[in-house]
Amino acid sequence: MGHCILTVDDSSTMRQMITFTLKGAGFEVLEAGDGVEALEVAKGKKLSLVVTDVNMPRMDGITLVQRLRALPEFKFTPILVLTTESDASMKQKGKEAGATGWIVKPFSPEKLLEVVNKVL
Amino acid sequence: MSRWFSSTPASGPALGLEPVAPAAALGEALLRLAAREAAMLEGQVNFLTPELLQADSLVREAAGTLEEALRSLDRSVQGQHALVEEVQAAMNISLEGSQESAGTASFGHAIMGTLDHLLGHMSEISESTELLVREVNDIRERSQRMDDMLEEVAEIAGRTHLLSLNASIEAAHARQFGAGFAVVAGEVSKLADRSTALSSTLQEQVQGTRLALERTDAHVHTIASKDLSLAQQSRGESEALVKALEASNGTVTGLVARLEVNARQISEQVGHVVRSLQFEDLVHQTLMACLKELGNLQEQAEAWKALEAGLGAGEPAAAGLARLEGRLGEIEASRVQFRAVKSGTLEAGEVDLF
Repeated sequence: MGHCILTVDDSSTMRQMITFTLKGAGFEVLEAGDGVEALEVAKGKKLSLVVTDVNMPRMDGITLVQRLRALPEFKFTPILVLTTESDASMKQKGKEAGATGWIVKPFSPEKLLEVVNKVL
Repeated sequence: MSRWFSSTPASGPALGLEPVAPAAALGEALLRLAAREAAMLEGQVNFLTPELLQADSLVREAAGTLEEALRSLDRSVQGQHALVEEVQAAMNISLEGSQESAGTASFGHAIMGTLDHLLGHMSEISESTELLVREVNDIRERSQRMDDMLEEVAEIAGRTHLLSLNASIEAAHARQFGAGFAVVAGEVSKLADRSTALSSTLQEQVQGTRLALERTDAHVHTIASKDLSLAQQSRGESEALVKALEASNGTVTGLVARLEVNARQISEQVGHVVRSLQFEDLVHQTLMACLKELGNLQEQAEAWKALEAGLGAGEPAAAGLARLEGRLGEIEASRVQFRAVKSGTLEAGEVDLF
């Protein structure tokens, strides 16, 4: 059975680019527009990886990471933060929340796949 | 942070003004607020200018990259179509002398068909030739034996003739007593003559048989020669097919290698497109930050209008100025202190695994 990856971003363009890249590599991809929707989509799903933006309406990416880590089924699931934020302080927040890695936008497809394959 | 930049709503004492302040103090306070507003405006212009320039730069870069990537993709896709057509053509090389085109599978079928035909033919000929050789050998042996026997018959005929001659001589010596014996000798001599004639006829027949055998031998050689000719022809056809197949295979291999290179180029261009299309998110975030700052400017203008309206309505100047200061402080505090998007290009960002 293949890996299922949830991508979370309020930009539909970003979601499409991430989905295009991951599906092209053979992954199953689910999408959510913000943290709240992501928690709903993730409910009851067996996810191999979550890729989330930080700045989103309703619930930001850092809070989403904290909320997912609080759930037993996502305690050890890799979570990558894909954001325009590159400040060390923000990265530290992400790390403390439980993120697995930090990728600064824009991403190149091959680099994203390299990181995804590394954390899976 | 100076008190002018305090985020807490300012009151009278924050401005250092008494409820009924002298005109000089009010004028000084107004100047300070004007200076503060000027500083805020300068800061906001300093924030907005690079943000807008960055948005412009990102859009230009994305448009340029997308244009170039799409041109390159178009070329690659056209190249891909041409290569695919070449591959199809290479895999459908017409066999020499055949009206039908044949792919790799047809080549294989043709070779197998030729070999099967050859083997079947060779097998039949081999069986027939073996039988023929066996028969010829048998006839040759029989003929040889007949030849030996004929020599013996000829020798017997010779001896009988000699015996008849001797008997005739003895009969002549015996005169009238040998008359009957002479008749017998004459009959023996006649038999010897018939034996000699028969032997001669038989020898002719045997000679004829030999000649027939020689012709059969020639036929066998012809068959063998035809076998060789057919084998050589089949071998030639098979070699031609194999060579055509090898040539086709070489062409297809080369084309597939070019297809792989082309596919890699397409993949790279798609990567550029994916990266460039992210400008939408980057520009969106940049413009959202600009809109937020424009909202702050609008609120500042409203605060100044409120002061104007208050003073016009007879509100004490000190109170109006204090309210203005408080509002400016709130706006200042709510301002985003960092740029939403730091990268001014669409180069891939850094990766940090924790």
